[in-house]
Amino acid sequence: MTPIAGAVALNLAFGFSILSIICLFIFTLNEDKRLFLTGQRLSLGISFFVFLATFILWYQLIISNFDIDYVARYTSIETPFIYKISALWAGQSGSLLFWLFILSIFATITVLQNQSKHHGLMPWVIISLSIIQLFFLILTNFVTNPFMPTDADFVVANGNGLNPLLQNVTMAIHPPTLYLGYVGFSVPFAFAISALMNRDTSTLWIQSIRRWTLVAWLFLSSGIILGGWWAYQELGWGGYWAWDPVENASFMPWLTATAFLHSIIIQEKKDMLRIWNMALIILTFTLCIFGTFLTRSGVMSSVHSFTASSLGPIFLIFVFLILIVSFSLMYLRRSELRSEKRMESFTSRESGFLFNNLVFVVMCFAVFWGTLFPVISETIRGTKITVGPPFFNQINVPIGLILLALTGVGPLLAWRNTSKQSLIKNFTFPILSGLIAAIIFLFIGFKGSVVISFSLSVFVLATISTEFKRGISARTKKFKESIFKALFEMVSKNRSRYGGYIVHVGIVFMFVGFTGHAFDKEKEFSLTKGQSDHVAGYEFTLLKLSETERPNHYAWISDIRVTDNKGEYVTNLYPEKRIYFHKNPDVNRRQPHSELDIYSTLNKDIYSIFSAVDNENGVAFIKIMVNPLVRWVWIGGYILVIGTMIALWPRKD
Amino acid sequence: MDYIRDYSLVFIFFVLPIIFVIQPLFLNKINDFENHIDLSSLKRKKRLLYRQIKELEMEFDIGNINQKDFETSRKELKVEVSEVITKINANKI
Repeated sequence: MTPIAGAVALNLAFGFSILSIICLFIFTLNEDKRLFLTGQRLSLGISFFVFLATFILWYQLIISNFDIDYVARYTSIETPFIYKISALWAGQSGSLLFWLFILSIFATITVLQNQSKHHGLMPWVIISLSIIQLFFLILTNFVTNPFMPTDADFVVANGNGLNPLLQNVTMAIHPPTLYLGYVGFSVPFAFAISALMNRDTSTLWIQSIRRWTLVAWLFLSSGIILGGWWAYQELGWGGYWAWDPVENASFMPWLTATAFLHSIIIQEKKDMLRIWNMALIILTFTLCIFGTFLTRSGVMSSVHSFTASSLGPIFLIFVFLILIVSFSLMYLRRSELRSEKRMESFTSRESGFLFNNLVFVVMCFAVFWGTLFPVISETIRGTKITVGPPFFNQINVPIGLILLALTGVGPLLAWRNTSKQSLIKNFTFPILSGLIAAIIFLFIGFKGSVVISFSLSVFVLATISTEFKRGISARTKKFKESIFKALFEMVSKNRSRYGGYIVHVGIVFMFVGFTGHAFDKEKEFSLTKGQSDHVAGYEFTLLKLSETERPNHYAWISDIRVTDNKGEYVTNLYPEKRIYFHKNPDVNRRQPHSELDIYSTLNKDIYSIFSAVDNENGVAFIKIMVNPLVRWVWIGGYILVIGTMIALWPRKD
Repeated sequence: MDYIRDYSLVFIFFVLPIIFVIQPLFLNKINDFENHIDLSSLKRKKRLLYRQIKELEMEFDIGNINQKDFETSRKELKVEVSEVITKINANKI
């Protein structure tokens, strides 16, 4: 495969996308099915050519064809195979092609899955998807083409190699997962636009996209968690979330998507919140594009911005176009979107869902404002004001705690109205559990938001266990089943409901992990062989300082023995100080990197960073952090994924 | 031989997809489209309504809705299902 074939494939995909839009638009006017079939096949054709272009670029990365600028920039002969694969999303043009590649997978699935259904919706669904593909094809064909040859007028013997921070297995998985989430929302968005175009704002489009939305949400959630895991494992500052603009860019659509996942239940069951749902999915998709803009434009300084470019204005125009077209359509269809039904009571599940939605959106707005404020202030006043973690924590910790409380309250409320007796019956056990927990935590010596967070976690877990108990006892009474059979049948017949509850358990565990941050301890010190220092009741002794040369870096490895305050052995830690591209004769191009070592338990993590080395005197500069409960964040993440998978599992009917 | 391989690849990867895409334009006009559309979406709607009835029964069993609301909602859903079934039968004929 020659690189020119990749460029031609992208050209053809561009042409096909225009033709697909034209064919299907004419079909919506004259209803000649031949045009629909042609438009459908053109859409498959776009995807085919995008796949072809992507596989060609992958092949060029693997064979190290440094005649292509992108290959020379992001790989070298020494780059391990897995990172040659992940180099596809290491740079700007490759990552945009990768966005397009995932979108094409989703577009193909959507077209093939709906060949014999949703014929009313499909033409506009395909048109919408083709327009999104067209946007990315314009970028990859005319703005930042991944098949551009190198500028050099000599044979390029070796490439730059991949940024060391990206040479991590999690980083090979995190961006694709996040992209699957971002891009996944294109499909629900396309269905929403189609429903507006067809004036069909009933529950049909909602039911068609529920599974898609869950899939996209699962990937976005996993991507965010993996991103946190990568930051924790790789960046060496001891945390997993820094309210960095690029992190916020993925968090904002997650918030609106989570709100959407809850509010579509109301539309499905009660045919309410039509306008709200439409607005939420439009916002979610727009925030996904905005997130890509933040990551790729270089407008924000971020630890995650591995590229800087002039793509910003083009992305911003696209974001504004989406907003203007979508909300204009909503305005034009306002009479169809109006629901005849109204909330009947404040103490109903509907109002619980609505309140939770409002809190999600308020949180999203707070994050949006905090993220963009530095740019806005710089544009208007010429001075850049930094909005750091204290602002985000101050605003979002209380909102997060309200959301945690609502996670517990929602399931206890009945549809339409909850009677006083039901309120007392349903809330007694969870509230008592939460209160007892609060008293115990206060007695232990915890304070403020820590006590609130832990007791709310107990309250929510009590709520969820009550819900499971009520469901099981209803089944055991009605069908005379054993408890285990009742549990199995109940979950398998109501997967979205109980899968959702399991997701809530995951969220609670994550909150427990977040709360542990309040007890973090850290210390920096230097050690020579045999020397010791103490942090948070542990003793750290440097046993050995060795060095080794590996294919793509040179490393100093410290061997640190950890013992507890009773002198009992805990573990050995081996943090490394590495120099990537160490063979490069240009010293400035060699990149130092600290490879961490973490000893992780349910109770706490001991996090070691080899900050620097004094080679002549055999001194290792070490930073140790003791981070309680971090593992609960990852366990919560696993549970969240399991719960979503249960909710997603297809039914037999 | 390289010549043949290159032309074969161009044919497979570039010419065949174009033929695949334009082929429907040479078909005769297709007429049974609307009926097919209605039937598949009606069947889907029927399935979803059945699911909603089951979920409603579950909500009632665990005490999330009262007797009056349960009966009203179930009645509404059953009326809706019977309307859909009538439409499906009419379409089949």
